Amino acid sequence: MRPLEGVRVLDLTWVLAGGGGPRLLDALGAEAIRIEWRERLDSLRLAGPFVGPEPDQSRPRRPTDPPANVNRSGIFNDINAGKRAISLNMTRPEGREIFKRLVAISDVVVDSFTSETMRNWGLGYEVLKSIKPDIIYLQQSGWGYKGVYSGFGSYGPVAQAISGLTEQSGLPEPYPPAGWGYSYMDWSGAYYCAIMMLLAVYYKRRTGKGQYIDGSQLEPSIYLTGTAVLDYSANGRHWQRRGNRAIARPMAPHGVYRCAGEDRWIAIAVTNEEEWRALAAQMGTPQWTAEPRFATMAARVANQDELDRLLGAWTAQQEPFALQERLQAAGVAAGVCQTAEDRVERDPQLRHLNWLIPLPHPEIGTWPVKNVPFHFANAVVGQGGPLERAAPCYGQDNDYVYGELLRLSAQERERLRRQGII
Amino acid sequence: MADGFLFDVKVLELGDEKGEFCGKLFAGAGAEVIKVEPPGGGPSRLNGPFYQDQPDPTRSLYFWHYNVGKRGVTLDIHAPRAKAMLEKLIARSDVLIDSLPLDTLSRLGLDWPALRKLNPRLIYLVITPFGRSGPWRDYKATDLIHLALGGPMMCCGYDPKPDGTYDTPPIAPQMWHAYHIACNQAFIAAVGALIGREMSGAGEMIDLPIHQAVAVSTEVDVPIWIYSQKPVLRQTGRHAVQRVTPQAQFKTADGRYSMLLLGITPRESAALIEFLTEKGFGAELNEKFKDPTSRRGPEFNACLTGALTRCMGAYGVEEIWREAQRKRISWAAVRLPEENLGDEHWRMRQTFARVEHPELGASFNYVGAPTLAEQCPWRTGPRAPLPGEHNQEIYGGQLGLDAEQVEDLRRQGVI
Repeated sequence: MRPLEGVRVLDLTWVLAGGGGPRLLDALGAEAIRIEWRERLDSLRLAGPFVGPEPDQSRPRRPTDPPANVNRSGIFNDINAGKRAISLNMTRPEGREIFKRLVAISDVVVDSFTSETMRNWGLGYEVLKSIKPDIIYLQQSGWGYKGVYSGFGSYGPVAQAISGLTEQSGLPEPYPPAGWGYSYMDWSGAYYCAIMMLLAVYYKRRTGKGQYIDGSQLEPSIYLTGTAVLDYSANGRHWQRRGNRAIARPMAPHGVYRCAGEDRWIAIAVTNEEEWRALAAQMGTPQWTAEPRFATMAARVANQDELDRLLGAWTAQQEPFALQERLQAAGVAAGVCQTAEDRVERDPQLRHLNWLIPLPHPEIGTWPVKNVPFHFANAVVGQGGPLERAAPCYGQDNDYVYGELLRLSAQERERLRRQGII
Repeated sequence: MADGFLFDVKVLELGDEKGEFCGKLFAGAGAEVIKVEPPGGGPSRLNGPFYQDQPDPTRSLYFWHYNVGKRGVTLDIHAPRAKAMLEKLIARSDVLIDSLPLDTLSRLGLDWPALRKLNPRLIYLVITPFGRSGPWRDYKATDLIHLALGGPMMCCGYDPKPDGTYDTPPIAPQMWHAYHIACNQAFIAAVGALIGREMSGAGEMIDLPIHQAVAVSTEVDVPIWIYSQKPVLRQTGRHAVQRVTPQAQFKTADGRYSMLLLGITPRESAALIEFLTEKGFGAELNEKFKDPTSRRGPEFNACLTGALTRCMGAYGVEEIWREAQRKRISWAAVRLPEENLGDEHWRMRQTFARVEHPELGASFNYVGAPTLAEQCPWRTGPRAPLPGEHNQEIYGGQLGLDAEQVEDLRRQGVI
């Protein structure tokens, strides 16, 4: 059994911050149907790396031709694994009528358009509710619909900058913020997109009631700024960056240290005296480790610059993974700053956990896709969902959705195709 | 008062900072969350910062933030008399969050089969650093170690030198994101299991290794490796990708920073050039790159970056980003977290909440709701429990012990 069996999601989200949400429901067993049309493809379909030929946007094509090579993006394949996909032109009135028929047989509608798009199409919550009284409608926009910035644009880095996450990351002044080297708020935005849909599905199961949720990418970002707002409110303290040093408890050494090899680093966190002695013993207890300025946690914290320099001089001679193994065996928390290559090709724990699963795709073959990190003892849960497949090709499930679910005849479907509706 | 989403869900939380954020999400979504701490209080009460910088188990802002909305009991789960009490607490719960050291509950005779017998409808969520089995099972970890091993750090940091090497280390973004990342996904799994239980009637055990949760949450580095076997480069305030991309963070007139990623779409580039022209910084751009089709490549990027540097340097951090946003340019101030408190947009959406601390005679601003759901409003409060604050209420009211028995347990150090 799959926990979300029988839950149908109409997925009008894009890229990752939206698209990752239905992906997670799909892993839990829901049926996510992604809706695109020729002029509004998910932009990740056009983002490399590709398997085989790249999308060709230059060649003139007739309106009824399928777009060229839009099913070959590796990133799209990872983010949309398990979903179904249909082509449906939402800008056409007849397309929107078909959409309404889908709403009537669905549980959740989620979109990440800018704020007024669905309302302008006559598809606001009141309309959706009149079609399906217990529908759940999550409007997942950048800044949220209600408020003075409704309609402002966002993607991961914007959310991270405004919320304070960017400013919180990096070395102390005079260094600028380092921020995040990826759209942290795309995955995290996707988590909250999934969370809100799941909470609303639970509530509906218990009460029979649907609802409208005004979601955003910015608020989850603010939600993740930790204790900084409270520290300001309670203590009047402004946030100051401290690099990789410990912020909540005295811990020293605490940081990343260069290892042998090109751009190789290891993180070490010493939480008590026993661990400090174990670390010193691994270094061969050099004279400096016995000096009073490093004798207690407080002393080491006070002399961190020098401590880091001395420790770093030692780690720089060490092969990173051997050092990690050695320190962990001695009871010291240590871990290499792993690259994607390290995680994919060698991390024995991730392999043990089956973090990548092979999923088939009709055009690019079978590729490893990141699995969800939750392991259920009873229910069947996994990326790829009930279909156990990778991302859908453009319009791959038109026959299933228009034929089996909506019972449109073959002639009717052909007419809609010729007219550029589906 | 309107129901929360999880109005009829009871959660029991055992453990430390690894699972605390998941309990916070449950409380925010309207569930009843009981946190079980050792007598005197749990380990995260020692995490700073502290109220008025006075370290004390009741003054940890860390504990306040991650435990707002929960109720608290104390119980020495290793004491002989505690097991029966723990069993009763588990029997009345829908969800058990366990982030205790590995195998703690099994050693007490409360492994999954035993828990299931106790409560066949229980959702048992186990949050561990690396998983319950495997070669790294017993590795020690902290937030920093997880962000290193899981991959975020190798994506975060500062630009390489012109020769492609780095003189700055990878950076672990603060604060506590390994636990945020893991608990967000743990919460997704647990609510999914609650939905599944509506149909199956049966409980579930969910194993969530933090290492795996972090490792799947970076963005393009893993697909780029899988599909093209290429490494990515750390870059200041922007995505780690295969090549060095144009600068995205600019100093403002007041010594702060603004951000803008170049080259998002041709429409946005055009809007940006128009905006820079209006502000008087577009002369060179318009002269050298009049033809829209010429607006690409390193020379164009250098010219645009120069114009942006001058423009951003002429205004304060909060001065013109909204104006740019109204022209559909994704320009943003790099704010301090607390600077959002005064913003009208968040006030209208009730993104922050005021929480009373009656014993201190004070109230404080907390980060409130991660979304606006008017039918099932997010709950922020009441404030985090004091150690054992709800012992009488829970042990007396719900487990049926009388006041004398509760006092006896307290004297013996069981609660």
